[in-house]
Amino acid sequence: MTFGWLAAQTSAVLDGDDRVVDAEWIPQLTLSITLRLDGFGLLMGLIVSGIGTLVMLYSTQYFGRRDDLGRLAGLLTACAGARLGIVWADGLLTLFVFWELTSITSFLLIGFTDKDPAARAAATRAFLITGAGGLALLAGLITLTVVGDAATISELAANPPSGAVTNAALVLVLAGACTKSAQFPFHFWLPGAMAAPTPVSAYLHSATMVKAGLVVVARFAPIFADQGPWRWLVVLAGIASLLVGGVRAMRQQDAKLALAHGTVSQLGFLMVLLGLGTAASTYAGVAMLLAHALFKASLFLCVGVVDHEAGTRDMRRLSGLRRALPVTAAAVMVAGASMAAIPPTFGFVAKEKALDGLLDDDTGLVGTLALLGIAIGSGLTVAYTIRIVVGLLGDDAPGVDAADDDSEPLAPIDPSSLHRPSPAFVAAPVLLAAFSLVAGLFAGPVGKWLAEVTVSLDPKTADKKLVLWPGVNTALILSTVIIVVGVAVWWFSRAATRTVDARGSFSTDTYDVAYAGLLEGARRTTKLTQSGSLPLYLAIVLTTLATSLATALLSGAPDTIGDLDVTESQVELIAVLVTGALAVTVIFARTRFVAAVLLGGSGYALAIVYLVQGAPDLAITQFLVETLTIVVFLLVLSRLPADFSPAPEWAPRILRIGIAVAVGVTVSWFALSASNARTEDSVGFEYTELSAPEAGGDNVVNVILVDFRGVDTLGEITVLAVAGAGVVNLVRAARRQQRRKHLEDGSDDALIDDDSTRRIGVWR
Amino acid sequence: MSAPTTPRYSVVLAATVNGITPVLLLFSVYLTLRGHNAPGGGFAGGLVMGSAVILRYLVAGPDGNRSLRFDPIVLIGVGLVLAVSVGFASLIVDDAFLESAIWQWKAPVLGKIKIVASSFFDVGVHILVVGVVMAVAVALGEAGDEMRGRR
Repeated sequence: MTFGWLAAQTSAVLDGDDRVVDAEWIPQLTLSITLRLDGFGLLMGLIVSGIGTLVMLYSTQYFGRRDDLGRLAGLLTACAGARLGIVWADGLLTLFVFWELTSITSFLLIGFTDKDPAARAAATRAFLITGAGGLALLAGLITLTVVGDAATISELAANPPSGAVTNAALVLVLAGACTKSAQFPFHFWLPGAMAAPTPVSAYLHSATMVKAGLVVVARFAPIFADQGPWRWLVVLAGIASLLVGGVRAMRQQDAKLALAHGTVSQLGFLMVLLGLGTAASTYAGVAMLLAHALFKASLFLCVGVVDHEAGTRDMRRLSGLRRALPVTAAAVMVAGASMAAIPPTFGFVAKEKALDGLLDDDTGLVGTLALLGIAIGSGLTVAYTIRIVVGLLGDDAPGVDAADDDSEPLAPIDPSSLHRPSPAFVAAPVLLAAFSLVAGLFAGPVGKWLAEVTVSLDPKTADKKLVLWPGVNTALILSTVIIVVGVAVWWFSRAATRTVDARGSFSTDTYDVAYAGLLEGARRTTKLTQSGSLPLYLAIVLTTLATSLATALLSGAPDTIGDLDVTESQVELIAVLVTGALAVTVIFARTRFVAAVLLGGSGYALAIVYLVQGAPDLAITQFLVETLTIVVFLLVLSRLPADFSPAPEWAPRILRIGIAVAVGVTVSWFALSASNARTEDSVGFEYTELSAPEAGGDNVVNVILVDFRGVDTLGEITVLAVAGAGVVNLVRAARRQQRRKHLEDGSDDALIDDDSTRRIGVWR
Repeated sequence: MSAPTTPRYSVVLAATVNGITPVLLLFSVYLTLRGHNAPGGGFAGGLVMGSAVILRYLVAGPDGNRSLRFDPIVLIGVGLVLAVSVGFASLIVDDAFLESAIWQWKAPVLGKIKIVASSFFDVGVHILVVGVVMAVAVALGEAGDEMRGRR
């Protein structure tokens, strides 16, 4: 549906008529959700929704009937929604919100098979890396907002800031983009994310999650590429990923993992193109983005078909598939050709444009470096593409040797035992592969359309075009050399890479060590600070309170203390005296119960003071809270010994009295001087005037709570909700533990049905 | 800890509570709804209703022959969702989060009726507070009963 709507919008958008939605979100913080559908957003939206739809169709065939298919569909849709938000976001903070949403949804998608510990670990790893990057991005975006005095990308583009602070912000933005788009040295989460079901991988890695960083880079590069370290960082990170991904793709036996490393490599390529920020490279980058989305999704889905029909993705065991699965094999070959940039596919057209642009590049050393890196990386791409295609479709598979004495060696599968996948199953990958081919054959019209789309990123791309056959030029010669070298690399490495299976990686190990270290550090810190002794906690909290209040008072308190006139009303005087007297009596209480009741009495008396002072709402609340506090006290006290337990040895009487007096004195002093410390006019008068006309209420206290400061109240009740749930769960957890202990002791009462005890006997 | 010697069930208390419960429940709703124009409000109303439920709980204990069919924690969620949805509803209607709308009309018998959107917010607060009070009291109470029961 989204796809259809977008297609309908195409002509309007390309005429320069951007669709802008600007909804106020929290106007008090000038936060608003700003979305802009421009040419680039349109292209990305078409990719996201188009591939999303195909993956959904494919998933129904891949999974068959499964209970959690609804969950998968929901997550995929949510992920697509968040992704559309990123490509259409114009507001900087809007961008961040959707960015985090994709992090969360992809966490859930990667860990979709949540019973598998490896999937959970991979999901956590991806989430932590991208989450940390998200924080860097947030810091960068906020800095840009402040420095550039702009809330949206278009405002930044109209009036770009510069200087050291801007450079720091750009580095942070790039760091965020690199984590999300799996760029070196953050690339390692992506292959791990292969724990997700194949359709999910296809979607995440071709269209959704990993492109988010590229979108940010693409939007920022034309604005900021000439500034500071941007170009160098992008090119270095991109080329490192291009090479590392390419080399590692050569060493995998799981076809899906090989593709994943290939994705890292391709993303590096795209990063370089989109990040350089010249009109030619941006245009080529957008073309390559489309090409990559088409062929990578197709390849992943094909691997999914193979996995589904053959029961393995191990290239050492796959044999004879081109006869058993001819349609899938054709799709693999076309999509593979596009990945390796073999004419006449769209991958070739796009890469040709990229090389052409880089050859004419005028960015100096960086541009040369980019060209060199891309040439080498493309050679590797050709090599690993051939390896994957041959590995999937080729004939003589070596089988897998036994890993140790206990396991059996795994023989190659028998191709004749495979059954053909249904047409609906292979439809999606075939369609995507066909697009790769058709877009290449009709490079002219597609290129013209892409040029109109790319104008929204950089106006200078308007006259760019794509051609299928450029004639013999430097770029074509370079392409030919790349392909020849790639084939040669594959040919000479094929014996060496036939059985090697590289699983772990240095980055992953580093991450794991750091993660374990973090957990261990947290455990030790907790042990150090959480002694579990309530008296100690109280002593620390109260001493801190008294010290900080005393510091504040001594350093800048107003000299005068408000009127201490309590003789205005006799009722009030009595109430104050009773409050004080009861509070003092608490000290002499010998049992917990008596102390609790005395405290409650003191609270009731205080409520009378509120009432006399003309604050009925406060008084009502005070009465009710006191009542409930006593009840809760009673419930808790029934679990405790009747008498107070002896004070701990480290706290002699004199220390306890000292802390108590210090807190009492400073808090009273603070309260007295605070009421005199006002320097601005009270907002109360304004609220009182506005209450009835604006919010339709005569009780100003309530109107403030539910309307003027309603968001505060919402925050407070949320805290209340969390606290309530926390108390309940703590008690239940403690009880479970106790019950387990009793169970071990062989006690009969331990076998209380949990469900029945949770219900309460209220309605007799 | 010694076993409790007094019976847990008190006839006088039970009779009183039985009589007073409907009054308390009505009063709590009244407090919440009048809050916009007179002392009261969702928090106070919720506390009164919570007290009423706790009173019944103290009288009946977990041995009560009819039991509540749901986990009180659910109420916390319901209240919070209601409060948040009021916020979003006014975002849609009025273009700002938690900006309250006012509706007035004349009804035949009842006279002038005025409804303010934030009253629904207060109802959410009310439900949430009841949920928190019940959940905490029940959790603590159960734990106590179980410990006593074991001795």
